[in-house]
Amino acid sequence: MEFKDYYKILSVAEDADSKAIKTAYRKLARKYHPDVSGHQEAEEKFKEVTEAYEVLKDPEKRAQYDEFRKYGEPSSGREDGRYRSRQFEGDSSGFSGFSDFFSSIFGGAGPSGRPQGQSYGFTSQQAFDQRGQDIETDMPIFLEDTLTDTTKTLSYQLPHREADGHTREINRTLNVKIPAGVANGERIRLKGQGGQGIGSAPNGDLYLRIRLVPHPLFDVEAHNLIITVPLAPWEAALGASIEVPTLTGKIKLTIPANSQTGQRLRIKGKGLVRKQGHGDLYAVLKVVMPDTADDQIKTQWQQLADSAAFDPRKEWRK
Amino acid sequence: MESQYFNFQELCTITALPSQTIIEIVDHGIIEPEGSDPESWLFNTRMVSVTRKAIRLHNDLEIEWSGIALAISLLEELEEIRHENQQLKAQLNRFIVG
Repeated sequence: MEFKDYYKILSVAEDADSKAIKTAYRKLARKYHPDVSGHQEAEEKFKEVTEAYEVLKDPEKRAQYDEFRKYGEPSSGREDGRYRSRQFEGDSSGFSGFSDFFSSIFGGAGPSGRPQGQSYGFTSQQAFDQRGQDIETDMPIFLEDTLTDTTKTLSYQLPHREADGHTREINRTLNVKIPAGVANGERIRLKGQGGQGIGSAPNGDLYLRIRLVPHPLFDVEAHNLIITVPLAPWEAALGASIEVPTLTGKIKLTIPANSQTGQRLRIKGKGLVRKQGHGDLYAVLKVVMPDTADDQIKTQWQQLADSAAFDPRKEWRK
Repeated sequence: MESQYFNFQELCTITALPSQTIIEIVDHGIIEPEGSDPESWLFNTRMVSVTRKAIRLHNDLEIEWSGIALAISLLEELEEIRHENQQLKAQLNRFIVG
């Protein structure tokens, strides 16, 4: 079991007063709160910081921890380990997922008091009727799959309460119907597919957060799709009829003469599915140069350069 | 598919919050249910997750409701801007690479 230096975790001195500890905790809690932080390990960090504060803010627990830190063992010889059996009550930080290290000194499962149904994936172990925990999980969806109703197989982890009262994670697989037209970030609720209810209380729900998987060709803007269309300089100059891929196949697109890089051509109804109708597909033109030019081509470019009175930088000369 | 909407009582049940807390959250405009009074309120799944986020911020960071309203709207804005930034970067890459 890993020793946790709570002073180090909160970046405070061993003799820091309670005010300094509180300030340090608040600062770190804001920094690492999983709802606020973009930090990859935010949740772990936040748990660690909360655990450290849980101990250091309480003079009794702090004294006990200091003793352990100094002598390397919980002070069980004193007063028969009265802290070991104590449950912490009325604390609002609400995490029951404290480390083994914490439990080894203080016993118990950590503080209670967070309203149940919160989503960090921690569970509390009260022995009364309690609605099962709601679970939120990401559901990656390909753009192609949003065009029609589709069924996806989803695997997720679920806290399961064993007969002995312990909770462990189990894997669950489920076939889920994803309705046509789902949008990125949308949440789909599956009733009763979350954590198991305790006693006669119902199961929690499962929430799927839709994540549209980035597509190799198409970008998404609301319900519209964008495709970048490379054009040869002469196609842009003379106009062309080209084939453009869509999510469902290919279509013919007419490129008007004198087209410019960055110009957008709208292809109606070839975007994503909306509640009513379809979004559009936008072809964004991008003029590209050939990689190499042989002598003959160079001569031809030179002829063009000589005959075309074109100054692309005339704006600079005003 | 299951109903994606909840009434007031259902929201209290699934979030395990007292009705007064939900009313407070609505009063601060943190979530804006359809319907004009608690009896007719309808909440969608996004509001459920915003409610939970509000409660976590309230409990974990000891933020007052008015501060939470501000924090959540800024967080949403940040998320939108990050998303837009990601989209624009992806589009820009298609333009300047290859």
